[in-house]
Amino acid sequence: MLSELNPGLILILGAVLVPLLRGPVRKIYMLLLPVFGVMHLLNTPHGTYGDYEMMGMVLETYRLDQLSFVFGLIFHIAAFLGILYALHLKDTASDTMQHVAALIYAGAGVGAVFAGDLMTLFIFWELTAIASVFLIWARGTDIAYKTGIRYLIVQVGSGVLLLAGLVMHKAETGSIAFDHFGVTTMADFTAGTFLIFFAFGIKCAFPFLHNWLQDAYPQATPTGTVILSAFTTKLAVYSLARGYAGLDILIPIGATMTAFPVFFAVIENDLRRVLAYSLNNQLGFMVVGVGVGSALALNGTAAHAFSHILYKALLFMGMGAVLHRVGTTKATELGGLYKSMPWTTVFTIIGAMSISAFPFFSGFISKSLILAALAQEHMWLAWTVLLFASAGVLEHSGIKIPYFSFFAHDSGKRPKEAPWNMLAAMGIAAALCIGIGVWPEYLYAILPHAMDYEPYTPGHIITQMQLLMFAVLAFVVLVRTGLYPPEIPSVNLDTDWLYRRLAPSMLKEMGKAVTHLSGGIWGLIREWVDNIRALAARHHGPSGTMGRSIAVGNMVLWVMIGLAVILLLYL
Amino acid sequence: MSDNHNHTQDDQELGWFERVENHRLLILLTVLICVGFGAADFFYHKHPHFSAEEIPAFYGLFGFAAFFFVVLAGAQLRKLIMRPEDYYDDQEEAQDAE
Amino acid sequence: MISMSFDLAIALSLIIPVVGTILIGMSGDRPNQRETVTLLTAISLFAVTLWLLPQVAAGARPEVSFFEVLPGMPLKFVIEPLGMLFATIASGLWIVNSIYAIGYMRNTGEVNHTRFFMCFPISIGAALGMAYAGNLFTLFIFYEVLTLSTYPLVAHRETEEAKKGARIYLGVLLTTSIGLLLPAIIATYMLTGTTDFTAGGILADHVSPTTATILLALFMFGIGKAALMPFHKWLPSAMVAPTPVSSVLHAVAVVKAGVFSVLKIGIYIFGIDYLADADLTFWLQAVSAFTLVTASIIALTKDNLKARLAYSTISQLAYVVFGLSLATAAGFMGGSLQIAMHAVGKITLFYFAGAIYVAHHKTEVSQLNGLGRKMPLSFIAYTIGALSIIGLPPFGGAWPKFVLMEGAVDAGQPLLIAVLIISSLLNIAYLLPITVRGFFLKPDGEDTPAPFSWDGVKEAPFMVLAPLCFTAFLCFVMFFAVDAVEGLIAPILN
Repeated sequence: MLSELNPGLILILGAVLVPLLRGPVRKIYMLLLPVFGVMHLLNTPHGTYGDYEMMGMVLETYRLDQLSFVFGLIFHIAAFLGILYALHLKDTASDTMQHVAALIYAGAGVGAVFAGDLMTLFIFWELTAIASVFLIWARGTDIAYKTGIRYLIVQVGSGVLLLAGLVMHKAETGSIAFDHFGVTTMADFTAGTFLIFFAFGIKCAFPFLHNWLQDAYPQATPTGTVILSAFTTKLAVYSLARGYAGLDILIPIGATMTAFPVFFAVIENDLRRVLAYSLNNQLGFMVVGVGVGSALALNGTAAHAFSHILYKALLFMGMGAVLHRVGTTKATELGGLYKSMPWTTVFTIIGAMSISAFPFFSGFISKSLILAALAQEHMWLAWTVLLFASAGVLEHSGIKIPYFSFFAHDSGKRPKEAPWNMLAAMGIAAALCIGIGVWPEYLYAILPHAMDYEPYTPGHIITQMQLLMFAVLAFVVLVRTGLYPPEIPSVNLDTDWLYRRLAPSMLKEMGKAVTHLSGGIWGLIREWVDNIRALAARHHGPSGTMGRSIAVGNMVLWVMIGLAVILLLYL
Repeated sequence: MSDNHNHTQDDQELGWFERVENHRLLILLTVLICVGFGAADFFYHKHPHFSAEEIPAFYGLFGFAAFFFVVLAGAQLRKLIMRPEDYYDDQEEAQDAE
Repeated sequence: MISMSFDLAIALSLIIPVVGTILIGMSGDRPNQRETVTLLTAISLFAVTLWLLPQVAAGARPEVSFFEVLPGMPLKFVIEPLGMLFATIASGLWIVNSIYAIGYMRNTGEVNHTRFFMCFPISIGAALGMAYAGNLFTLFIFYEVLTLSTYPLVAHRETEEAKKGARIYLGVLLTTSIGLLLPAIIATYMLTGTTDFTAGGILADHVSPTTATILLALFMFGIGKAALMPFHKWLPSAMVAPTPVSSVLHAVAVVKAGVFSVLKIGIYIFGIDYLADADLTFWLQAVSAFTLVTASIIALTKDNLKARLAYSTISQLAYVVFGLSLATAAGFMGGSLQIAMHAVGKITLFYFAGAIYVAHHKTEVSQLNGLGRKMPLSFIAYTIGALSIIGLPPFGGAWPKFVLMEGAVDAGQPLLIAVLIISSLLNIAYLLPITVRGFFLKPDGEDTPAPFSWDGVKEAPFMVLAPLCFTAFLCFVMFFAVDAVEGLIAPILN
């Protein structure tokens, strides 16, 4: 029985015990949970397990195959790193809640990846939404409170759309299996498959559906953002790869995702929000890979998700450490931190070089799979956009993040180095980034499809180094000529304007109107009732029965009892 | 930015990355690497998928142009969408007050 | 019990509450006797219900008639699955509610306990009478008994506000039932010669679609307890009552009796097939969808927690009516599930409202900042109840939304799914801020909240806290126990 348990449930059920433990025991226990999960995962042969019948549906609660294995494995690693990174938190209520939320969230992400049917997927899908929002609220500020509600509405919205899609898909086909939906062009969409696609799209931060990400992630706690960055969006990428591989519109969608966030990232002042835009841009690469749908491309998506989770977590850890020590990640208030936070600086630079895809770092060996797949299919437009976006990545994640926080103009701040557990988490993540970059064959071996690809040819290395170093040169020129735009404390409008400015004021007006209207109607009815009562009172004298409620109450009570007794006598 | 002429700061505070001579060194290094990889284009056998890849140092030129464009376009974007930091705050506070 | 007959069981369901009421009335100032009798009544009533439940689930349809008021219109009881479901929920939650009421009344300094506790058994007896009613006439009688017996509870505090609220409560419920429901029943009787609840309905061959539409409208609005807009105002007005009363109104008996009647009349007087074939319900879809969304929007604007919950109830009840209006088996099933799941979820939320009032005298949402540190269990329980109401797994409330969506698709109205989605999202917006305020925001006037410690915890008394935690746990259990409810109702849909 236990061997049929979805590994995600180990984390979720394990989380329930956390509040009962204290001190070092709790710390060790939490670190062990993902270790147990991985061991369980490695000990399960591929197949489907844990069938559970409910409401006339058979839920396949644990499906292990090549694709789910890759995502499941990296989710466990991310969970371990996230827990380690947050280990300095105390045993207080709000910190305990963060631990529990993080574990349930990670477990829900793992659980969703191993879901064999849409209902199980939906259950875990919603659970990721509920658990993750606590990582935002735990920040304890008014802004985090409101942001969290917005975030939750979007996330649950995605979930209920998934449910609606499930219902319609079930009506259309009679099946709730979560396999490829057979949709490869727009014309193939049915109402059900489109709703499911839309639900995935929200979680995957498709253009115009993206803004929850940049809105919410920078508001979470320093440790919360690290956890958040790993699961939700990659779960969506996994789901797209599972259900919609080879769907052609994913290529333009993904290409747009790679390109537009880079412009926002250039001018964004909050470095954690820069990373959120950067996350969006990286998702674009994966979505393009799903859209191409060839074996090489899908391998690229899986590999890129794997390495991306590590270096993105590493970058968020670096900025989290800065936030933890300095109290802000606004570029305008940072600078020169390398002097007192050298380790954090080094680790962040490793993350930056990985995301920029320097040879011998993890991003290089995964991103080149996707670009190679595009080249193979001769999709020149998408290829050009992705190449452009690669230069953009270097700008905001490769240079801007380390440059403005650790170098640039010395802010005079000399914070302490990050706590040991943060450094340990960053160190492991950094080691993995380099390890995957230097020895890609181990990652390639667990990818969903067999392939023959050699990342380290002279051509690959030279062209990539040209792209990156000339872009660095451009940065130097821009800075030296003063063309580089200065950092300014500001917010930049994005699609969130629609629901932060436009919608609330509309809703408020609607609420007022409805209250007013119903008040009016009710007033009429009451007037009418009062008139009738006045009429009745005139007939029955001043001691109208309605005037004395309590007397009526008691009288009614006794009448009722009397009636009941009469009833009894009749029986 | 790389504003290193900040004389108000104690010279002893200046780290390695803030000294002018080191800046020159770093820039020189960057230029040298660029020249090196640009030149390397002529010394290996290409397998282009697209005709543009046959242009010498295509990736380098593309990277330089792309970076330049991103930054300058970003600066233009600011004119359109930048708002004061408390832009959303007053709205939300106004709602709370209701 | 072993040799108990169905006649006896039905009779006991009505006699036990009456005996309980009399004994409570005789207890005078002996609170122990009062409370013991209350609990014993509740437990024995539930025992009788549990004796009936498996037999009805196995296909038995116990029937008993007492006397004929008019030819073909006797006082008649027939136990069928829908009524069994309602009876189980009402009598089961009544035990929990009795414990809660005892805890609440002991700790709030409310007066006149005897009258208060006397009214409860009658209202539960009336609810069971409705649940087991075999025809419209019987249903109507107990419907009115329920209205009248809860009236003193609403007016319990005897303040001007309480009297006013209770007047509106009584006024709306009596006016709608006598003005609309009773004429509908009489018309049904005159048109068909019977008011018996019959599988497949009784109207189909007797009336024109126009007449049927009018009758349906009279029934739906006449059942004021279902709180379909615009006859919803009594619910927020009744919020002046002490919290245990609110939970009776919202979860155990009153509103559940309303939507139960809606379903019962829908399936046994009209018949699902007739509703669908004659296309009688398109307007009801509109009205219930409007109520569903509008009540949620109004709830957003309420700062008083109980008022907010009242509008939430109006919205959630509309789900049941909505389910019927879809005129499909799945829609009906969704409505039935909603009765069960909403009862458990909403009672949790009201228990929470009572708990924060008992422990800290808080009533407004905006007063709750930081209170979660003092009442962690209560806030966790509230959150679970809220998540269930929103319709999120792994809590019971998720299932009705799912089945209702299926019902909408079956009815060929997939666009109506949008209504359910919007409502779920609105539920988040008005229910979860309470969790956030409690756990994460700083209490007013404190810059840095004191670190959490168990010494700082001040939960409500055990008798208040335990029911709250229990019903929250039940929300979770119901997610996995849904098949039992589904299996009970399914036979009447074939």
